[in-house]
Amino acid sequence: MIDSILTGYGLYTFSSIIVYIALATLLHLQYGRTGILNFGVVGFFGLGMYSFGVLLIQYKFPFLLAMFLSVVLVGIVAYGLGKLILDLDSQSVLVATLAFASIVADLTITEKWLTKGVRGLGSVPFAFDFGIYSQFGFFILASSLTIILLLYAFKLENSPYGRLLSSIQDNEILAQSLGKSTSQHKLIFFTLTCALMGFFGALHATNIHFLVPRMLDPGVTFTVWIALILGGRRRVLGGLIGILATIGIFDFIIETYVPIPASFQSELLPVLKLLLYGLTLILVIMYRPSGILGNKKLIHQ
Amino acid sequence: MSLISDAIVLGVIEAAPLILAAAGFTLIFYLNGFINVAYAENITLGAYFAIFFNSMLGLNFYLAIIPAAFLSGLLSVITYLLVFRPAFKRGVGMAEMIILSVGLSFFIRYSTRLIFGSKLYAFDVISPTGFKIFGIGVTNLQLTALLLMSAITTGLYLFIYKTNYGEMMRSLANNEDLAMVSGINPIKVSVLIWFIAGVVGGLAGVFYGVFSFVNTLMGWRLILIIIMISIVGGIGNVRGALVTSLGAGILTAAVTLVTNPIYGHILLLIGFIFILKFRKERR
Repeated sequence: MIDSILTGYGLYTFSSIIVYIALATLLHLQYGRTGILNFGVVGFFGLGMYSFGVLLIQYKFPFLLAMFLSVVLVGIVAYGLGKLILDLDSQSVLVATLAFASIVADLTITEKWLTKGVRGLGSVPFAFDFGIYSQFGFFILASSLTIILLLYAFKLENSPYGRLLSSIQDNEILAQSLGKSTSQHKLIFFTLTCALMGFFGALHATNIHFLVPRMLDPGVTFTVWIALILGGRRRVLGGLIGILATIGIFDFIIETYVPIPASFQSELLPVLKLLLYGLTLILVIMYRPSGILGNKKLIHQ
Repeated sequence: MSLISDAIVLGVIEAAPLILAAAGFTLIFYLNGFINVAYAENITLGAYFAIFFNSMLGLNFYLAIIPAAFLSGLLSVITYLLVFRPAFKRGVGMAEMIILSVGLSFFIRYSTRLIFGSKLYAFDVISPTGFKIFGIGVTNLQLTALLLMSAITTGLYLFIYKTNYGEMMRSLANNEDLAMVSGINPIKVSVLIWFIAGVVGGLAGVFYGVFSFVNTLMGWRLILIIIMISIVGGIGNVRGALVTSLGAGILTAAVTLVTNPIYGHILLLIGFIFILKFRKERR
């Protein structure tokens, strides 16, 4: 019984959900805390995933070096993009990041010499080899890293730096007048959080083993956004709750454990799932804009 | 030389539906100040409405356009009255409005998918005859569509820049209270603008669909370029949308003639990001 849980398909799905929780938490840091409308989540995630895969498989780099270099690459790209667009109005930031993600997805299709195009790039091994328990090992690794990220986000909430980021979101001009170089802080924070999205992308590559351009669909970005809004964008656990309530229910509980006919599962279920995501998003924004967890009561009032 | 003329003719044909879609999109963007992602579904459903009247009920293609355009306009008004206007009343912020429109977009797209399935639909048109303009092969269907689209764009242009309604729209977008004091009925004008935007969006979908096929993702694939065009062309600026769409169409056509069309898409997006950064504020 325990063996089947530790090695089964359910654990693979759950490991992916953990990675998504990390992404949603990073988006909470960018949007919920700092107010950056990053609609290019999958661009940074996918760039980390693919650059790691390419370095490891096409150029035979050592595992850790490939992972390190891919995170650095995502950081540099995020810095460049941030420098270009972060000081524009938020709608421009939104479309520019969305466009960036679209460019990354396009390049994975066209640059076949690097990525093997739609045929797919494989296979990426786990970071370690525990035999049949490798999946369990990955699950522990991903969970620990995500917990560290959550702890950092909690710590940030009550730190001076966190308050500085919040002030950028609430009133950037006021923060500037208090002598804070908001552009600089925003740029550095954006670079770091995007690099971490790339890191979780590289980590995710070791879970899925086989990379295809379809994984860089904007649907990833929107799933993470829907989850964060549903959970509560200003709350550290908002991303976690939101991911569990969306793909946790559909991709994990229903697809893995509920006995439903295969034709229904492949045809109708994904459509119904996305339809419901859309409806949920509408209802949340209209009737509970601060999400399931709501807003924290402000102490100073 | 022939590359340039080829690119111009093909680019104009490619840009024509884009002009319609971007013009409609930019009107809503200007009037209400947010990026309405659900406009993608307006384009898609315009094509599906026309497919319904044309391929399913057997109506002539050009006749099927009329009820399809009307229904697209109606759909746009319904989304405004049932979702966006109540959201404004509730004081939903700009960023949340965009996310709301993403939710609505998912909802409409996958409802359509539930009804029509994942099948590709094609229009029932008399097989077009081809001839040459400046040595480039075009079909009579392309030319008729182009003429129709020019007529619609001209009409829209005159409506926005030469009638009272265009002026009312601009005053409403700038200052709703002031507009109301001067006797403008905000609901009436807004509904009219959303209707017109829906009509041209639906027509854009029809003319896209007639040259390839119709599926539930067609509007979604275009929306990013449409958003970019309306921001780069100047929000609410139908002229700007027209010029930018033409430029985008010709550039894409030129790249498509020499290499993989995806590079055209990439080049366009990179170009737009840099224009966002370096243009002077236009409003």
